[in-house]
Amino acid sequence: MLRYAVRRILQMIPVFIGVTIILFVLRAPGVLPGDPVRMITGERAIPESLREQIIEKHALDQPLHMQYVIYVRNLLQGDLGESYQRGRPVVDIFAEKFPNTLRLAVAAIIVEIVLGLTAGIVSAIRQYSFLDVLLTLSTSVLVSVPVFWLGMLFQIFFGIRLKEWTNDAFYLPISQMSSAQFPDWVHLILPAITLASVSTAYVARIMRSQMLEAMGQDYIRTAEAKGLKRRTVVYRHALKNAMIPVVTFVGIDFGVMMSGAILTETVFSWPGVGREIFLAVGQRDWPIVMGGVIIIVVIIMIINLIVDLSYALLDPRIRYGGGAE
Amino acid sequence: MSALLEVNGLATHFTTRDGVVKAVDGVSFRLDAGKTLAVVGESGSGKSVTALSIMRLVAKPRGNIVAGEVLFKGDDLLKMDDARVRDLRGDRIAMIFQDPMTSLNPVFRVGRQIGESLMLHKGMSRKEAFERAIELLDMVGIPNPRDRARDYPHQFSGGMRQRAMIAMALACDPDILIADEPTTALDVTIQAQILELMMEMQARTGAAIIMITHDLGVVADLADDVMVMYAGKQVEYGPSDAIFYDPFHPYTWGLLDSLPRHDVDEKGVLHPITGQPPSLINVPPGCAFHPRCPFAQEVCETDVPPALAVTDAHVSACHFSTDPEFRRGVAVACAVPEGVESA
Repeated sequence: MLRYAVRRILQMIPVFIGVTIILFVLRAPGVLPGDPVRMITGERAIPESLREQIIEKHALDQPLHMQYVIYVRNLLQGDLGESYQRGRPVVDIFAEKFPNTLRLAVAAIIVEIVLGLTAGIVSAIRQYSFLDVLLTLSTSVLVSVPVFWLGMLFQIFFGIRLKEWTNDAFYLPISQMSSAQFPDWVHLILPAITLASVSTAYVARIMRSQMLEAMGQDYIRTAEAKGLKRRTVVYRHALKNAMIPVVTFVGIDFGVMMSGAILTETVFSWPGVGREIFLAVGQRDWPIVMGGVIIIVVIIMIINLIVDLSYALLDPRIRYGGGAE
Repeated sequence: MSALLEVNGLATHFTTRDGVVKAVDGVSFRLDAGKTLAVVGESGSGKSVTALSIMRLVAKPRGNIVAGEVLFKGDDLLKMDDARVRDLRGDRIAMIFQDPMTSLNPVFRVGRQIGESLMLHKGMSRKEAFERAIELLDMVGIPNPRDRARDYPHQFSGGMRQRAMIAMALACDPDILIADEPTTALDVTIQAQILELMMEMQARTGAAIIMITHDLGVVADLADDVMVMYAGKQVEYGPSDAIFYDPFHPYTWGLLDSLPRHDVDEKGVLHPITGQPPSLINVPPGCAFHPRCPFAQEVCETDVPPALAVTDAHVSACHFSTDPEFRRGVAVACAVPEGVESA
């Protein structure tokens, strides 16, 4: 197990190098339009001396490969450079935004787990019932709805129409900045549900199919032959087997959410990592884009590793690192 | 004396898109304490469904027990409420399944799975149940039972898993052990060990056994009674000796005749029953076996044969069961196999 974990961590190094090189090549002059100095200063004319100062500060006069070496050296020291637009260290910017993203991700993953698992299990246990058909139908629709559009529908309905209909008595905040009269967590409701929507539908579908598969296995009949209650058979014997693929999905999804939900955060003006990257792309603020992508890559790799290791806890047939007999 | 288990006119049907499958259609037998009943028949003859019906484990809503009674110590299992049936299941009536590879839950330790019914029926704590599971594993011949109880099923070989299944079934010291083709999925060498173990356990615990098999060779030595099934129907039922040495029904003759024999000097010649078992949706009218029966008469095509008593304990569902002349004819035809001259 430990050897497996170490090997996986070592495998992250080439991935990491690959990602940074790709990002660097994209930034090279001529690949994407835009002069970095212009991006920093804007359209204003600037004196030549200031221009040279900027070039030196960001090491823009160096050949590309030297810039890369400098960047990686700084990176290893925890320095992701300085934002062109904001004149602040990228690390500071993300350190400030990340807690917001994390809060949103945790809220969304809770919605996903609670609603997704419940819907999936209910569907499986009451297969072909009205409820099952209803759930299956709604999850089919939900997986095909674009997240940003769903977010906007929520905003219109819960934020604007509801407010009109109830004469301002009841509605939900549609963005982080909308007003200060709500407790903090209320701002999370719509973005969290929006962010969780598609994944919740997927979780429900995976859970349903896995549960049905598990319920058809021979060991379920064995458990019933022991005289166990159906409830025990379902929740002890079937569920643990059915959970294995669901845990993978939820785990990886959590990684994706933690690395910033660009669409959801943008629609709801949520001051998180995803929105920051979205804004930076628009402004060609390369240090933020690069830093953001690198952080995302690292988070996803770590979450994937944790998910893979947690397999072994759920499924005893999986043993990493050559423990097989 | 009232029997430990008495089954009368049991019928279990399945509703499918193509029609009603009469998987079990009129099965009756009795089982006394400590005895062994073998249920024999081809695949799809309704053996397993009979067993599942006794346990009331037929998969609903498609499968339904439509008629009959299953009297356990005089009480009809089919009329009991679910909770009472669950109390008996695993405690008084236990079951061993065909494929030990898939019948154990892969994500729980073997010891825990054995202990589960002890916790349920005997009110043991988890620790007591685990200790008892270790004793049971030892009893069924698993070496190092203390370590092995902590293993997961995938760490066991096929034979060991079936031993573990037997330990699980015997955990609560049941009155009846139903074994549904317990050796089919195992190596031939392991098969003999498992059968031996079951007999040994029966001698030790006094459990009655219902042994379901398609292998007549398996049952010859260990069954007290034999029931032969064909197309969901009981065709012949009687004491083991009568079935093996004095069978009546042409189907039973055919089964016995199709066994490979070592005492006849005609190597490589088998005598299969010609034709295929019928579809259970379209069972032939009259006697279900008549299209394959070499002795079929007109009456066989139209009338369903009743179960006729050949002797007190021996019944045969053939129109000619009480006709000694017919019987001699069948015996002669089967004793001189047709292939001998041409081979």
